[in-house]
Amino acid sequence: MTAVYLLILIPILVGIIEYFLPKGYKTIFTLLGQTAQFAMVIYVYIVFKGADTLIPLGGWTAPVGIMLHVDSISMVLTLLTSFLFLCFIIFNIYDEYSDKHFYMLYMILQGLLIGIFLVDDLFSIFVLVEVSTMVVSMLIMHKRDSRAIYDGLIYLLINTFSMVFFLFGLAMLYKQIGSFSITYISEAMKNVTNLSALYLPYALIITSVCLKSAIMPLFSWLPKAHGTPSAPSTVSAVLSGLYVKGGIYLYIRISTMFSAIDMSEFFLVCGFLTAIIGFIFAISQRDIKLILSYHTVSQLGLILLAINMKSEFATIGGVYHIINHAVFKSVLFLCAGLIADEYKTRNIYEIRGVFKRMPIVSIVCVCAILGITGAPLFNGSISKYFIASGSQNDVTQWLLGIINFGTILSFIKFSTIFAKDKSGHEYKKPRYSISRNAVLLTLALLCLLGGIFGTHIIELLFGVKKTLSASYFDKSLVYVATLIFALLVYFTGLTKTKPFVKIREMDLGFNNIAIFIPIFMCVVLVYLVFV
Amino acid sequence: MGIYSYGEITGIIIFFIGTYGVVARRNIVKTIISFGVMESGAILFFLSNGNASLAPILEDTAVATGVADPIPQALMITAIVIGVGITAVALTMFINLYHKYGTTNWEKAKEARKQ
Repeated sequence: MTAVYLLILIPILVGIIEYFLPKGYKTIFTLLGQTAQFAMVIYVYIVFKGADTLIPLGGWTAPVGIMLHVDSISMVLTLLTSFLFLCFIIFNIYDEYSDKHFYMLYMILQGLLIGIFLVDDLFSIFVLVEVSTMVVSMLIMHKRDSRAIYDGLIYLLINTFSMVFFLFGLAMLYKQIGSFSITYISEAMKNVTNLSALYLPYALIITSVCLKSAIMPLFSWLPKAHGTPSAPSTVSAVLSGLYVKGGIYLYIRISTMFSAIDMSEFFLVCGFLTAIIGFIFAISQRDIKLILSYHTVSQLGLILLAINMKSEFATIGGVYHIINHAVFKSVLFLCAGLIADEYKTRNIYEIRGVFKRMPIVSIVCVCAILGITGAPLFNGSISKYFIASGSQNDVTQWLLGIINFGTILSFIKFSTIFAKDKSGHEYKKPRYSISRNAVLLTLALLCLLGGIFGTHIIELLFGVKKTLSASYFDKSLVYVATLIFALLVYFTGLTKTKPFVKIREMDLGFNNIAIFIPIFMCVVLVYLVFV
Repeated sequence: MGIYSYGEITGIIIFFIGTYGVVARRNIVKTIISFGVMESGAILFFLSNGNASLAPILEDTAVATGVADPIPQALMITAIVIGVGITAVALTMFINLYHKYGTTNWEKAKEARKQ
């Protein structure tokens, strides 16, 4: 029997041992530990081959014991987490802020994240999410900038507020079912006669999961946490690339667990609204990191939309989009961090001439932008094609078109940093270490490979075969048309008009963010009872 | 009392009092206290549902009648410990914030952050 629990344990142990090592050995030890963990993940992946397996810990099975659940989605996400953390650690080797505290928190976060993906027990999920919330808030305020402390505090309190709802929901669910095991509950769900008794626990649990995955009214904490000025770019990359995916993953698990309650139409609408509002906020921002983090909200909406389409292809497209988004959003955050450090500003109107000044970063950035906007041959196009093929409905196709238009529009705004520098400032070309460039180029190459071999990768990961039909090439024409239209819209100067300035200046305080959580719960409850 | 015991009803009431505290109070310290209140409500609710349908660990079901379900009790200790951890981190962050901004009010902290 392979010891799957080691996947969770190794990063945490590496993080703690590294803390006590003498100064010169820390980095190399962390790197070796991470490489070993990545090798282990690949080994476990090959052993299980995506088979649906439950592994009891401590000799007890459901309904009493805690189990690990290995299936295709959880293993793929584990592989992705381990790989991206390896990349980030290599990227970070020579950076000054990567001291012992940083590495310890970073490695522990990785262990917790893999734990969230693998564990089959709702209470363990509660524990892992709570602890990872603490770790993330410490990582956000690692540089002790005063703005980062405010953002970190908001992040911590809003997330624990929602997790108390989760705990309360668990208490009510336990009263009804008598177990915490997700697989056991989903079996027991078939025998529940009084369905209305499950409404309240469902509303409580799904509210906190929706907050974790930043769905429409509950996303205000995300840009604060992901785009905070002083957080290291690798932290932003982990948060936006991987950590929010934990929320979406929990959403998939929880909504399949409550198979008796069908809310997919409600969340379809929610996902669409999230996508729209996300890009409207994104195009009104001036700060490059904030554009990226609002854009994460928009893409999360798209993924939620895909999962709720009730079609196998759309769901797989959604999961593949999780992977793709993790890759290109991490690249974009790493590049944005480098650019902001180089120009000493994060204002998009002041950064010009990046192409001349930082050629490699620009090439990588352009690859990621092509991926995220769904340009043909890049990975985003494959996942968006799968999502679109999940529905024959014209309305949904239009909605997806609108979302993609918003994505392209926000990235045209982002791309203005490549325009020619007219200010004529003197500068010295920055030099980056080989390891840093290698990581960036590898990730950019993945964007391209994920597109060219997209269908093969999906077949390998999820065992579903689908060849691209002629409509994929129609999609390329649609892409070009949308691109031209978006360019026209952008150059009318729409994003500088008054409503957008107002949206940019909108800043919700803690109480305003918090009040949305009970309101969202009540809306879910009312929907369940009356619709 | 119908489907809920007195302990559970008290738990629900305490939970929503805490929710009100988080949503309506502007003071950061009171927000952190309200979390403690909410969590106590949830924990009380958990511990009060003693008549769960299964009494696990004991395999002999004849002995198991009249035995309180041990799982909620074991898990709630964990929940309490996590609550303590969260409160500690939140208070540490609050002290840092207070030294930087000199206020305990969310709105004033927000204004101070803009500068």
